[in-house]
Amino acid sequence: MADCSLRPHVHWAQRHRELYLRVELSDVKNPDVSIADNVLRFRGRAAAAAGRVLSHRQSVAPRIYMWGTFPRPSVCLRRAHKAPLCPLSQPHLEAQGHGAKGDNIYEFQIEFLEPVEPKPVCRVTQRQLNITVQKKESSWWERLTKQEKRPLFLAPDFDRWLDESDAEMELKEKEEEKINKMKIESRVPKDPFKHLKKGYLIMYNLVQFLGFSWIFVNMTVRLFILGKDSFYDTFHTIADMMYFCQTLALMEILNSLIGLVRSPLIPAVIQVFGRNFILFVVLGSLEEMQSKAVVFFLFYFWSIIELFRYPYYMLSCMGIEWKPLTWLRYTSWIPLYPLGGLAEAVCLIQSIPIFSETGKFSLGLPNPLNVTIQFSFLLQMYLIALFLGLFVNFRYLYKQRKQHLGPKKRKMK
Amino acid sequence: MKHYEVEILDAKTREKLCFLDKVEPQATIAEIKNLFTKTHPQWYPARQSLRLEPKGRSLKDEDVLQSLPVGTTATFYFRDLGAQISWVTVFLTEYAGPLLIYLLFYFRVPFLYGPRYDFTASRHAVVHLACACHSFHYIKRLLETLFVHRFSHGTMPLRNIFKNCTYYWGFAAWMAYYINHPLYTPPAYGDEQVKLALAVFLFCQLGNFSIHVALRNLRPAGSKTRKIPYPTRNPFTWLFLLVSCPNYTYEVGSWIGFTIMTQCLPVALFSLVGFVQMAIWAQGKHRSYLREFRDYPPLRSPIVPFLL
Repeated sequence: MADCSLRPHVHWAQRHRELYLRVELSDVKNPDVSIADNVLRFRGRAAAAAGRVLSHRQSVAPRIYMWGTFPRPSVCLRRAHKAPLCPLSQPHLEAQGHGAKGDNIYEFQIEFLEPVEPKPVCRVTQRQLNITVQKKESSWWERLTKQEKRPLFLAPDFDRWLDESDAEMELKEKEEEKINKMKIESRVPKDPFKHLKKGYLIMYNLVQFLGFSWIFVNMTVRLFILGKDSFYDTFHTIADMMYFCQTLALMEILNSLIGLVRSPLIPAVIQVFGRNFILFVVLGSLEEMQSKAVVFFLFYFWSIIELFRYPYYMLSCMGIEWKPLTWLRYTSWIPLYPLGGLAEAVCLIQSIPIFSETGKFSLGLPNPLNVTIQFSFLLQMYLIALFLGLFVNFRYLYKQRKQHLGPKKRKMK
Repeated sequence: MKHYEVEILDAKTREKLCFLDKVEPQATIAEIKNLFTKTHPQWYPARQSLRLEPKGRSLKDEDVLQSLPVGTTATFYFRDLGAQISWVTVFLTEYAGPLLIYLLFYFRVPFLYGPRYDFTASRHAVVHLACACHSFHYIKRLLETLFVHRFSHGTMPLRNIFKNCTYYWGFAAWMAYYINHPLYTPPAYGDEQVKLALAVFLFCQLGNFSIHVALRNLRPAGSKTRKIPYPTRNPFTWLFLLVSCPNYTYEVGSWIGFTIMTQCLPVALFSLVGFVQMAIWAQGKHRSYLREFRDYPPLRSPIVPFLL
């Protein structure tokens, strides 16, 4: 009785520890691969593959001379075309078997030379099926099968073939790579406080964000309810929260100083000191200034900028990037910074006459230090410094903007 | 005797500025600079910086042509150092100013204080003492510039005179205004404070003078040799054991003494700024000593013993 199973091409290669079998079948559906008693059994259904081998139960007459010695399928194919047809005394034997439309069943068996692990690993691709078998003992086999004669469907896989000495070198290289990798990993110190630092930064940014959003929402609501009248008692309602937020902002300088955050120190110092000076010294110490309209605009501009800045920092601590927020954070300063600076300048200009009249923070002669301090004069000098500081921060923010929103060559900070 | 040819190019534009032939091998850079001035009179030798590389180090005036790594045709690159002014001129101007300005305030020249105070004298003894000390200090500096100091460089860029004079004259006016003010408040601890301050001041003035003399004696007249300064028989120079630039240390000490004597905040600020500037200079000098001399005493600090 004819056994019409077809044998696929199988190419094999070995390493010290494993065997690779490559079954030349396209689109194998549901392959059945198992190892029992050290014999690998394969059975699968696939469409006709190029240059497959036929076999039959009875031993083949030597005239049918197909794949025995030449491993390269293309060569084999040509040969196959030219090969003499087998004697037609065995009608079930077919030369090429194209005729089979659709899927055919392919089978083969290999009994291994030495013991192997009974768990083969299969990987199916469109063009072939790869089977990896682990040897039980690490050694170099002189042939794959237990039988001395090589099965006709089996051929060396030149793509993966290595001599014993080359395979040893490959092993050695892998070992060295592992050692190097361990060395590199041990050189980079693992930061034990990383999570603590991250948690602290996230909390800080969150608290600031909440503070400023309270300020912003409060001011907006009051604007809608009271209209222009809300300008004049902004300080009275908002100042405590603003004091809190701005005092807390001193932490930003500390963060930059101790290297917790990678932003440079000077822009942070300029911003924090500038704002705190206006808030505590110019506004905080003069009752008269607190009921001026400019306070509303000042607080509003400050809080809008912070509404974008702190969530952006918080998310970047957590490793999340929300593109619209990034854009807002790096673009909103363009209108808001100049407006904020203008509001601060107006505060200063309005406060200078008050300081010179009341003589607050000023020192006149005679005094033990033998010096006169005219605070209004110092404020005039500060006004000039304000514009210089704004300019420095502008340049820094512009550079940041180009870095983060410009051509994506570098990774986000 | 083979003569050298010297070609001088502009360091920035590389254009040929001057070609000198038949230059003696023993010619020094100074002589070459003089020859260069003949063709370009607006660049007097003090303004010239000649180098072997366009961005290299400036060659010294004493370098001999033969000893330089050049072939028989030497190429030098020229940079214009800008208008130069001699150190002596700068020092004299910047020290004469405070001397005169302080005296203007001391004598309460019109338009400085109100009209009722014109040409009056302060009723505090310490104010007269302060004037004496301040004037003594600047007269000492003027005399040292004329007779004691030996300068390494002859000139400095012209813009320095404006910078330095603004600093010295400005601070002198600011200090003098308050010390000689009719509403001046004398020191809180009275005579004790003044006496202590005077002692410190005089001690440091003597120390400063001793160091200047010791430094002068290190270097023979007209030479520009550099040697490690060591303590001499004068006890004031024993500070050399601990400090590279004891002249700066004594200077800061004098001004601290003056501050305590007058109890005036502008004087304290002047001392502070001076200290910062002199500390920077001392660090530089200390580093160049360490670079130049292998056996430089390791115990020495730049300006403050053991600290800075």
